[in-house]
Amino acid sequence: MTDSADLERRYRRLLAFYPKAFRDQHEQEVLSVLMAGAADGQRRPRVAESADLLRNAILAHLHQMRLHRSWDYRQVVRRGLANEAEHPRRTILVRVGVGVWLIAAAAIAWGEGYWWGVFLLAPAALHFYLAYRAGHAVRR
Amino acid sequence: MQEATFLILTALAGGSQHGYGIIADVEQISDGRVRLRAGTLYTALERLSADRLIGVDREEIVDNRLRRYYRLTPTGEERLSEEAVRLRSNAAVAMARLDRIGGVATA
Repeated sequence: MTDSADLERRYRRLLAFYPKAFRDQHEQEVLSVLMAGAADGQRRPRVAESADLLRNAILAHLHQMRLHRSWDYRQVVRRGLANEAEHPRRTILVRVGVGVWLIAAAAIAWGEGYWWGVFLLAPAALHFYLAYRAGHAVRR
Repeated sequence: MQEATFLILTALAGGSQHGYGIIADVEQISDGRVRLRAGTLYTALERLSADRLIGVDREEIVDNRLRRYYRLTPTGEERLSEEAVRLRSNAAVAMARLDRIGGVATA
């Protein structure tokens, strides 16, 4: 695979963190800008550039949430937790599954040279903890 | 108005430009001080479009890549002009006072 195809693939992975609406609108042109700004033979996004994309992806998600004012996240969380308490077995399955998936994602990110993959381990631990708590509920 | 926003609008006041053109122009306007990154640029362009200060002028495909050109809207021109007047008036006061204490750089 050529260097530029390698680089483009990595940029696309970073852009995947953006909300779908943003990607539909801008993915192609952001990619053009990123590739135009790349040095000859560059294979990986620069750290500052990756950080900038991730930071702005989060901002885009936050902005989107604010646009949907009817979407009350506290209510969603409360309902979700009540639902989990009712179905502890299913909760264990889902939480462990998500935890394993996060660890796999962290390992892949690390393997690709993205050090920030380690940040995925904290939510993974949280999912395992919630699975463990659900396990207690089953035994009781 | 943030400096990056001001510089993006100033870049577009010179005519419609695509993303990479804006980055290069902003760098030149600011004497190399401000180099916008792609993520920051498109967050700003999204916001400016939503506020109707800029709009899409046209799209081109160059070397299989999409180039979307943005232009300043009349509202954008108005906002940029207000901001430029405000900055000039602030700068004038600063220069006048520095001049009085003999610390102004005459540039």
